[in-house]
Amino acid sequence: MTMRNRTSELFLGVASGLLLGLMTAGSAIADDPEEAEVGVEADVEDAIVIGGSIPMTGVFAFAGLQFNDGFRDFVQWINEEHGGVQGRKFRYVGQDTGYDPDQSVGVFRRITSREDVHFYFGDSTAFSQTINSALNRQDILMTGASFASELNNPEEYPLQFLLGPDYSEQVGVLLEYIANEDPGARVAFVYSDTEFGRDPINASVERAEDLGLTVAETIVTPPGAADISSAALEHRRARPDYTIFHGYILSPIPDFIERSRQMGMETRFMGTYYTMDQGIIDEMGDAADGFMGVMPYRYYYDEEADDYPIMRTIREMNDEYRATTYIQAWLVGMLLKEIVNATLEAGDELTGTNMRRALDSLEDIDTGGVIGVPVTFRGNSIPVGRIYRADVEAGRMVPVSDWIDLTEE
Amino acid sequence: MRIGSPKETYAADESLFRTRTQWVWFGILLLSLALYPFVANLYWLFLACLICINIISATGLNILTGYTGQVSLGQAAFMGVGAYTVAWLDNNATTPFILNLLAAGVMTTLVGLVAGLPSLRVKGLYLAIATIAASFILQFVFINWESVTRGTRGINIQPPQLFGMEFDNPDTFYWLVVPVTVLMVILAANLFRTRVGRAFIAVRDRDISASVLGINLPLYKLMSFAIASFYAGIAGGFYAYFFGSINPESFPLLMSIFFLAAIIVGGLGTILGSILGAVFMTLTPELLRYGVDVLEPFVQDASALLSPVRTLVFGLLIVGFLLFEPHGLAEIWRRVRRFFHLWPFRN
Amino acid sequence: MDWLFFFEVSLAGLGFGALYALTAVAFVVIYKATRVINLAMGEMLMLGAYMFFGFAAALALPIWAALILALVGGALLGLILERLVIRPMLGESPISVFMVTIGLSSVFIGLVEIIWTAAPRSLPSFLPSDPIFIGDAFVAPKTFWSFVIAAVVIAVFLVLFRFWRGGVALRATASDQGAAYGMGINVPMVYSLAWGVAGLLAAGAGVLLGSIAGISSEMGFFGLTVLVVVIVGGLDSVLGALLAGLLIGWVESLAGVYLGGEYEHLVTFMILMVVLLLRPWGLFGTREIERL
Repeated sequence: MTMRNRTSELFLGVASGLLLGLMTAGSAIADDPEEAEVGVEADVEDAIVIGGSIPMTGVFAFAGLQFNDGFRDFVQWINEEHGGVQGRKFRYVGQDTGYDPDQSVGVFRRITSREDVHFYFGDSTAFSQTINSALNRQDILMTGASFASELNNPEEYPLQFLLGPDYSEQVGVLLEYIANEDPGARVAFVYSDTEFGRDPINASVERAEDLGLTVAETIVTPPGAADISSAALEHRRARPDYTIFHGYILSPIPDFIERSRQMGMETRFMGTYYTMDQGIIDEMGDAADGFMGVMPYRYYYDEEADDYPIMRTIREMNDEYRATTYIQAWLVGMLLKEIVNATLEAGDELTGTNMRRALDSLEDIDTGGVIGVPVTFRGNSIPVGRIYRADVEAGRMVPVSDWIDLTEE
Repeated sequence: MRIGSPKETYAADESLFRTRTQWVWFGILLLSLALYPFVANLYWLFLACLICINIISATGLNILTGYTGQVSLGQAAFMGVGAYTVAWLDNNATTPFILNLLAAGVMTTLVGLVAGLPSLRVKGLYLAIATIAASFILQFVFINWESVTRGTRGINIQPPQLFGMEFDNPDTFYWLVVPVTVLMVILAANLFRTRVGRAFIAVRDRDISASVLGINLPLYKLMSFAIASFYAGIAGGFYAYFFGSINPESFPLLMSIFFLAAIIVGGLGTILGSILGAVFMTLTPELLRYGVDVLEPFVQDASALLSPVRTLVFGLLIVGFLLFEPHGLAEIWRRVRRFFHLWPFRN
Repeated sequence: MDWLFFFEVSLAGLGFGALYALTAVAFVVIYKATRVINLAMGEMLMLGAYMFFGFAAALALPIWAALILALVGGALLGLILERLVIRPMLGESPISVFMVTIGLSSVFIGLVEIIWTAAPRSLPSFLPSDPIFIGDAFVAPKTFWSFVIAAVVIAVFLVLFRFWRGGVALRATASDQGAAYGMGINVPMVYSLAWGVAGLLAAGAGVLLGSIAGISSEMGFFGLTVLVVVIVGGLDSVLGALLAGLLIGWVESLAGVYLGGEYEHLVTFMILMVVLLLRPWGLFGTREIERL
């Protein structure tokens, strides 16, 4: 009994200490702590501030950490090599969200309440949707990690844009490629039962049929599914020539492929942007050989990378492989550089609306080689991508198509 | 030091505030709530609104779990029902904000009653498990009833309007959510001065004795479920308006655990506990942010530890409070108060 | 109706159901001995899998050594939990203990994410990968071998439970604690034993699950399905756990194929709701457990 009392007292002490700490934290309303800050100091008057809700922990941390590094390096590069844009230097402020939309909103409020943010980067579709009204009100332009088709709607989301083709367009690029290579082929879609997974499915089934392909089956797997045996059997029964995965990062793709091989299936597997990083080769090994997918950017090791200024800069700043998500952050930087330049040229303030107008007015933006063709925004997305294939022996992704531009139809 | 407060009537003994000091403190609380927006920045107002939403929901759960003894792990899913009700009304009807919010409460009450049906048959732990099942089933409905919920794409909600004003930012929203929260909390506190509330406590303490005393067990259990759901619905409605967009992934099982943790940490079966718990649990991540910043120079990539540490601390708080301080922060608060009441004669 | 396909899907479901059964047995052992519904079971399983991962991949130990260490680690985890957290809660209301286990699951998830991050990983594969056919029906080798291993482990456990001294003590304690105590059985020891055994079983199930589906900090979700299994089977029935495990595995598999993947969990939880309404003590449980 006395023992219990003592521990109880101890606990009481700790708990009240915590409480006290909270109260002090609560009372210290004005001074917020430090966070990931790069670039010029907060007190530089005309700095261009990039804010970010960055998923540095949680399931999306593999991308978040790369985004963070990418922004850091871009800001450092543009400030040191170019002195910013028209003399105005950049500053990046990013905070961890743990990939939780409520946290992301919290981070947005936190950063915008302290800084005069000109441009923002969000980490999820849910965040992009939630924050939309606040963006319009505070007049801030934003992009993010989400490629949701939902966001590809300039009327609903006037101050947001995507950093490549939306998910439907990504699958569209894949279907376009299949229709060219193998007219009339049977295609199966395997997707997770999440916002991410469901996004392109309906539109893609339609597009596949328009292109004269046969949709053999659409198979949905429960989120976090442990067992995909029955889905794999269903997949075999459908006998597709091509299988397109969407809504996964990695698992359960390796398991799925392994089982299909064991069942003697000949289907070719494909994936979308977030599955197409180097991880698929490093984690899956031999089973990844021949895996294809769509990628809107050049890889770090692209053969032509050194012919393009930004890819060259990235390679000079980094001796080792950098993930495509790192390059994605550089794309943000390059677009922002052009946008800011055009806005200031027009003699406008750096408000979201003005920057958006500048973005829409820009034709054939040069991304320094990150995207293989000049970029012009039609709507909220950049519907361009290229098909790559995993070459396990070489340990890298090799291009098997030229850049496919969906707007050219 | 206060010696005692003699009462002459039962009504006086039962009243919420028994002494003048308590009235004064209550007045000070209201005053500081009213002054807060003038000193806090947008971010701290954002947190205040979030805390209020959590207080409403936690109070509801505490009525069910703390006072009636029925554990529920469905509070987040019920909030989802409220949020979707508001979202649907906002997109398909032109009803005013207040009505939408009430509709959210009523709708959630109805759903809660259905989900509470197993409580007629089973109790305690089985009920907790039934509410887990209910939250998965609701989740399924949110995802698949596309004509109402827009499925996984999520649904947007316009900011609430009242008297021609638009409450679209934490600084304005605050004036909407705080009064309602105060009202909801006072209602909850008053509930336990009535027969219904007392019956809940009787059911919790010993259901068989309660039924011997003439308390209709199924009725009161369902009623408790209904009230808890109503609170969840109102909280969910605010949530929808506050964030302006919801999707099926907005209300995970983890959020239900968050509310359970809040009332355990705050104190089961006390109104004060719901408030303290909700405040504490909402601010804990903020506190951890400070902690991580302190660690930053010493530990590599300390900021990458933030969200796992948060998960860990939530768990430790639940376990620690249940093991060492089962009555929660409210009890600690009481002890502190008693200390000052009797000071300097006893310490 | 394609019967061969139906047969294959059923086999896949039953194969995975064996994992449910194995974990459910661990669940039931804990419940029988200590009357605790352990919501952290899924996370104990996860920790077991991560320990295996740590030993096999990070420390590069041979598979068998890593496996033994993971099992021992799982058993130790069970013992420690019982001693540190569960025993002090003796005599508290079952609801408090239940909530403690909810807290524990959160602690474990946090720990795993701190040590190994939230990124999903694959376990080194150690199950044979040659395709297996039963008649014309294909069975994925992973499913087949995990079924075999789970079945062997369960069989060994049942024999021990029936004939070994510790097993008898466990059963005695389960049926009447007071009498068991009077007969000289060291009841606190039995508590520890139950949690240790359950921890070991959970770690084993975790390694099997991880080798099928990979590991992640979210794999504890598996524990919720197991909760359904034990409720359906009856909380205090080992037989019920086994049968219900297979049943739920089978039903989930059929639902996944014939209704669609989004229905898998729905069907499971619908079954749970129906059982709770009609027969809360489960198919094989004793009736008084309802009075929790």
